[in-house]
Order: sequence, then C-alpha cells, then structure tokens
Amino acid sequence: MKTWLNVRIGLDDFIQTKIIDYRIPKNINIFYTLGFLAVIAYAVQAVTGIILLIYYIPHPDHAFRSVQDIMTKVPYGWLFRQMHVVGSNLMITVAILHMITVFLMGNYKRPRELTWLGGGLSLLLTIIFGFSGYLLPWTQLSYWATTVVTSMPTAFPLIGNPIAQVLRGGDHITEITLSRFFALHVAVLPPIFLTLTGIHLFLINRIGISATPFGMADEEKRPLTEYKRKTHADGYPYYPVFFQKQMYMMMAYLAVMFFIITFLPNLFFPEEAHIPADPFKTPAEIRPAWYLLAPYQLLKLIPNKFFGITIQAILVALFLVWPFVDTYQEKNVLKRPILRGVFIFLLVMWVILLFWGRTS
Amino acid sequence: MKRRRFLQIILAFLASITLLSFVYSLLKFLAALPARTAEANKLIIRKNEVPSGDAKDIIYRDSPAVIINRSDKGFIALSRVCTHLGCLVEYDRVKQRLICPCHAGNFDLEGNVLSGPPPKSLTVIPLRIDGENIIIG
Repeated sequence: MKTWLNVRIGLDDFIQTKIIDYRIPKNINIFYTLGFLAVIAYAVQAVTGIILLIYYIPHPDHAFRSVQDIMTKVPYGWLFRQMHVVGSNLMITVAILHMITVFLMGNYKRPRELTWLGGGLSLLLTIIFGFSGYLLPWTQLSYWATTVVTSMPTAFPLIGNPIAQVLRGGDHITEITLSRFFALHVAVLPPIFLTLTGIHLFLINRIGISATPFGMADEEKRPLTEYKRKTHADGYPYYPVFFQKQMYMMMAYLAVMFFIITFLPNLFFPEEAHIPADPFKTPAEIRPAWYLLAPYQLLKLIPNKFFGITIQAILVALFLVWPFVDTYQEKNVLKRPILRGVFIFLLVMWVILLFWGRTS
Repeated sequence: MKRRRFLQIILAFLASITLLSFVYSLLKFLAALPARTAEANKLIIRKNEVPSGDAKDIIYRDSPAVIINRSDKGFIALSRVCTHLGCLVEYDRVKQRLICPCHAGNFDLEGNVLSGPPPKSLTVIPLRIDGENIIIG
C-alpha cells in the first residue's frame, strides 16, 4: 500500500521534505501555533456547521423552532450547537491573538506583506462569518443586532442605502434577509475563506517561517530584490518538536471549548438569545457579539454616524495595509517605543470600549 | 498588427464583456426585491383607543409606527424606526419622549432629535381626524 502511494503521490518524499527536513527557528515560541490553531478552529466550525444543517430550517416561521429542537430534542444536538457557537467565538479570539502576536514580533514586515494582508482579510471574513451566523437562529438578539449592523452602510451618501437594501433584500430584516445570510454563511463565505487561507499558507511555505526578533540574528537588512526562501538550516525539525506544540495547543483549545460548554453554557447566550425575533419590539438591552462591542460603543460616543463609521473603516483599512505603511526595518517592538506605545494605547482603548459597551 | 496580438485583444474584449454581463446580472439579481402583497394605504383607529398623554404602537405599510395623543397638541403619527441604525424607538410616558434602546437616541413628541447620535428626525406620517376616527396615511 505504502509503495503504491509512493509511486503515485510521492508520500515518502512529501513526509521527508515537508515534515522531517522542515526546520523551524530555534527561538520559536508557543504563539507560533496560533495560526495552526485558527485552522483547527475553522475545521471544528465546518464540521459542526454541516451537522447543524441537517436539522436547521432557514425560514422565519421555523428557524427559531428548529434551533430549539436541535438544543432540546435532537440527541446531542445541544453539543454540536454549543460547539459551533462557542467555537465561533473562540475562533475569532484565536485569529485576533494570532494577528496581535504576529504584529508584536514584526513578522508582517517584508517580504511578508501579502501574508499579513491575507491573514487580515481572513480575520475580517471570520467576523463576517460570525455576523452572518448571528441572524440564523432568528432570536430577538440576532434580529436586532443584524438590524443595527445592516443599517451601518446608510451612513454613506448615495451608495449607502442601495448597499443596505442589497444586504437585507428590502427595507427591513425579513425572510429574504434570512435566506441571504444563510447563503452567505454556508455557501459564499466558505470558499472565499478557504481560498484566502490557501494563499496565506502558500505564502508562508514559499517565503519560509519567520524567526522572532528576540534574542537572535534576524532577517537580512539588505534591500529585497530577489526571492530567497528562509530555511533555518540550524533550527529544530518541525516533527516532533513543533508538531507536539501544535497538538498541545489543539488540546488546550478543545479543553477551553468544553470547559465553557460544561460550566458556562450561557456565556454567549444572553436573555434575548432565547426569545424568538419580534420585528416590532426592540429589546431594552441589545448588544452585538463581544467582538463588535468596541465599534458599537464608539458609534454611541461619536454623534455623527458618517464620521463614526468612516473613522472605523479607515482604521480597518490601515490595519490591513500596515506592512506597506510601516517600512522601518527594525522588527523588534521592544526597540520601537512609539509603535509600542501606540499599540498599547489602541489595545487598551479597544478593551475599555468593549467593557463599556457591555455595561452601558 | 500581428495576428497573435489581434487575437489577444479580441479575447480580452470578449472576456471583459462576459465578466461585465455576469456582474451586471448578479447586481440586478441581488437588488431585485420580490413583489410584496398590496398594502393598505390608510389605517383607521378609534380616537378612544389612544387616551390623552398615551400612545399606541401600530403597523403602517409593513413598518412599525406610533400614534401619540399629546395632551397639548393632539394626535401625531411617527415612524418608530430610529434614523440612526434602524432600532425601534419606545414612547416614554413619564419623560414625554421617544427613546431608542440601541444607542440612546432621544426624540421629542414631534419626532425631532433631542440628543444622541440619530442624524435626523423621525418620519411623520400624515393623519387626519374624522369624527371619532383617526385616519392615518
């Protein structure tokens, strides 16, 4: 069997070159596993999402009931839905942590600008995944959170209203919106996400894994005019050193997920998530998911809607193209006090807005 | 012009037309809204259903609205859709205001913005009094 596979797909050669001979830098740390963890998180979402599709009915008259049935009547339906809901939040957490650590280690710098851009777009897609899935249970929370977010484009003159209309399929959230979001969630986003992830992984493989800037000589400082793969010939083999780290983190990820499912089952289910959508009654306390709380709170604080949304759009765009803006060659953030200060300031602001949005 | 260059231009042209045709059709497809059932243009409510100082939530043309009986100025009908991000405002009898629960937008009983982020007033729906009836729309 092994010979049969070797002749056809070169299995031995693949294992030798991609796993055993593949070297990783000696000063690699646990944060380098976060990208792998994001892929695992996506796999969990894909599998549990496909399982939920078997019982979920994407129609306003049945969506809420079908989700309740999954939770209460279908054997282990609660498990797969909880894994999907908790997993979606953990996946966004992992992706955010991955971006933060890549940023702090300066691994977005040349020649990895496009790797960063692909990762950043994947993070945005992950958030859109979460947002589009939010409406599907057709609860008060999902209905009104979607109303708020789909109204955001109306801040822009001329193009704003048509965009909102296309998103909703009308003036309000209706069965047409549910169909659109369902299609987006299960059919449109997955292939886009997989393509982006594929490009991201291809670039990581082509350019080579980046060493941390802490404690050892780093990338060459000379101008980058030709392709050269970073190989780390003196580094550790990927298997078993780094592979074990990745497996350890995967187990830790699943442990956190099942801890939340077991001991904090309502962590991501506020009261409004248990009430069927009522298009004629906005709940007194309506909040989006935690990862949208900071922009939500900022919208409350900035009185001008156009300005509030524009400033956030600019920040997102700046985040995506940051490697093209920050062309300074020093990777070590400890040697860049201004960048470090700005980053800490933005992170603290984000956390403050998040908690403010949760409590206000 | 060489034959190969000519064929390249023709191919690029045809590919562009194909792509544009697809994108145009897709945009039209997404923007098309299925026809709704005919809506009543007028809504009739009895005056005694809305006592002085009170309000009643109604649905007008598939959209939530409120009719308020102001003790000093009489009846007014306003859309309940907040002009900020589309949440529904609630009538606060004590404060004599309409308040949006999402971003704390405050409106007076004419629909004007008093505070908060809403960029414009609530839409006023025309009404007239006919005997004991309020005819909205």
